[in-house]
Amino acid sequence: MRCSHFRWGTGVIAAVGHGCLGGAGYQLALWLGLKWPPRSRFMVLHPLSTRRIIHIDMDAFYASVEIRERPELAARPVVVGGRADGRGVVAAANYIARRFGIHSAMPTATALRLCPRLVVLPPRHGVYAGVSRQLHAIFGRYTPQIEPLALDEAFLDITASERLFGSAEQIARAIKQAIRDELALVASVGVAPNKFLAKLAGDVDKPDGFVVVTEEGVERFLAPLPVSRIWGVGKVAAQGFERLGIRTIGQLRHYPPQLIREHFGNSGEQFLRLAQGLDERPVVSEQEAKSISNETTFTADISNRRVLRDWLHALTEQVAWRLRAQQLKGRTVHLKVRLADFTTLTRSHSLESVTDTTAEIWQVVQTLFEQRLMHPLPAVRLLGVGISNFSPPPPRQGDLFAAVDEGRQRRIDTVLDEMKARFGQGVIRRGKAPPAE
Amino acid sequence: MKITINRDSILKPLQVVSGVVEKRQSLPILSNVLLVVEDLKLTLTGTDLEVELTASTSDLQANGSGEITLPARKFMDICKSFPETSSTLDILIEENKAIIRSGKSRFTLTTLPATDFPSSEKVTAAREFIVTQATLKHLIEQTHFCMANQDVRYYLNGLLLEMNPTLIRAVATDGHRLALSEQKCEIKSGDSTQIIIPRKGIMELNRLLDDADTNCTVQVNPNYVRINLGNTIFTSKLIDGRFPDYERVIPKGGKKIVTANRELLRQGLLRASILSNEKYRGVRMNFSPNLLRATVNNPEQEEAIEEIDINYQDEELEIGFNVSYVVEALNSIKSDEVEITLMDPNSSCVITALGDDSSRYVVMPMRL
Repeated sequence: MRCSHFRWGTGVIAAVGHGCLGGAGYQLALWLGLKWPPRSRFMVLHPLSTRRIIHIDMDAFYASVEIRERPELAARPVVVGGRADGRGVVAAANYIARRFGIHSAMPTATALRLCPRLVVLPPRHGVYAGVSRQLHAIFGRYTPQIEPLALDEAFLDITASERLFGSAEQIARAIKQAIRDELALVASVGVAPNKFLAKLAGDVDKPDGFVVVTEEGVERFLAPLPVSRIWGVGKVAAQGFERLGIRTIGQLRHYPPQLIREHFGNSGEQFLRLAQGLDERPVVSEQEAKSISNETTFTADISNRRVLRDWLHALTEQVAWRLRAQQLKGRTVHLKVRLADFTTLTRSHSLESVTDTTAEIWQVVQTLFEQRLMHPLPAVRLLGVGISNFSPPPPRQGDLFAAVDEGRQRRIDTVLDEMKARFGQGVIRRGKAPPAE
Repeated sequence: MKITINRDSILKPLQVVSGVVEKRQSLPILSNVLLVVEDLKLTLTGTDLEVELTASTSDLQANGSGEITLPARKFMDICKSFPETSSTLDILIEENKAIIRSGKSRFTLTTLPATDFPSSEKVTAAREFIVTQATLKHLIEQTHFCMANQDVRYYLNGLLLEMNPTLIRAVATDGHRLALSEQKCEIKSGDSTQIIIPRKGIMELNRLLDDADTNCTVQVNPNYVRINLGNTIFTSKLIDGRFPDYERVIPKGGKKIVTANRELLRQGLLRASILSNEKYRGVRMNFSPNLLRATVNNPEQEEAIEEIDINYQDEELEIGFNVSYVVEALNSIKSDEVEITLMDPNSSCVITALGDDSSRYVVMPMRL
């Protein structure tokens, strides 16, 4: 599970659709009193800075779900993870356990040494996936633009929803409250004009965080944060900044950019942009993705093969879950390993036919890991698992009568779909349809 | 009342009417067959409340007249069990039972009163016309396989019969494909009439009709159709709905014409269909000058390719179809050569016999 010691990333090759609407859409928009053309969909025409992105991350997700069902554990240090005798690792720790210095990926045996009273529960992935679906249902009330990062973490683009549901801050509060009321769980929420800032905002005040970064407040928000908070700044880059005497993002902003570029090359450019609070990556909902992958960077490099396998399994679980959630099936499985010296190894294998089962994907990941890499493996700083080569959409039998009305109906459908994609499912209904609950 | 009848004489009408008597009926009386003896004539009636079949015979000796209902299935099984040709049955109807005797056998069956039998109201005929059985049978056989089955568009779960002054036409469609067949015939009544006969009625009617040139009388009112086939009368409720405007979906002006040997094409597609996806049944048909290449894939990545000689001079065109729809159309066309008219990959095609468009099959493509 995600916790502040680790940085989860999401690799998604996106194909962002730019819909083009005809005159009917304009008419409909006029009628509904909407601006036309819609703002953020046409990214070329409108500044990205007008976006409103929410980052939602559940606090100690696995542990919280378990404690929710066994309230007597609430006041005790609890971790979800593998057994101590099996060289298992901690997958999630509640905040009481964290006070003992326990964190994710720590061997359970070590955790028990730090806190002998620790309650160790075996993970129940099926249960967490179920809660995750409920979470997504809550998100879906406000926007269909949801980019899941993990079972319990997602970006939401609510730029287009503000008009319908209130300001970004109000929407974020409503979501946080709904999670508390309906799921009895606590989320940390960040609201900002882009993904980078939203994630930072969600992280700074954890647990039970709620941080809004406005465009005017970006500089004030970023300045005191350590440079290690910047996406892509790992151990090596952090040492580089250290040598330049740069500790905070504020200091980086005032450093001569040319020197940063010389020092860090291409990534220097990215660091500078992020330090300015600029990040243009769109929120990519799963339907648009050409591949699904999850990766994780470790705070401390790992060389223990058993621990790496456990991480790979967790990553596989996440990828497979996302695949199934989107009702996709993929054929090509990817493994990504970045070594301590930043050498990145990628391996992939294509199956005979498409799959969405964890077991089948895991089989391939294992084989790739065990047989296609040299062992013993040097220390690893990043692991990633991905799947691509999705099956083509199923054949669609045309309808004789629909084909005749098609011109007209297709225009209506296009407009409705575009509106729903921007504002959520509830925004518009046909006159004939029964009222929504 | 007592009747004496030859085994074969009663079995034939009994088999005709028992087609609509379903085994498991919600109303007990619907499992029964109505037996009426009047003026030396025996009439049997079976119904499922939608379709009613009546068959009669005069080949009997009757003592008195009367009416009663008997369990259809058992009555038929008993009659059938006697030796063919030679057997004679005595049927005695008493208060609450019927006694069937033949040779040394004796069966006692329970009965239900005839007054409880839901016989259809008289078809106060708004229109009446005469066609040959062969014409009706031909129209049904050419089209019935395209009827929808339990579609929410209830008006597609049947066959459209359209009577025009000089033309009778049958149309069936399930929304994916459409069959239209027409026959010239003089109908001696004013303007045209459209009726939709439900699927089950069409299946029964097809079973009853024969290829003979004997005439049958068709009576139509807004709720019922009654077809008198001589000794058998078919009555069916009509589907109360508006059949879609089928003329609209028959493409006109398709320029790309393919002609092919029907049997070669049919065999090739049938072979290829072995490897088609069982659910979608897709076939990719690539038409190029004088060559059709039909490709079929399934989820197991297996593939079948058939190359079929055709007559085609236009530009290359690839179009996907449900292979069953094409094969079924080719099955019902009887000529040696067929003509397929195409427009583009997203538009429907028309399949007819070469030089004879009295039966037309419109098939909508499948996006593969």
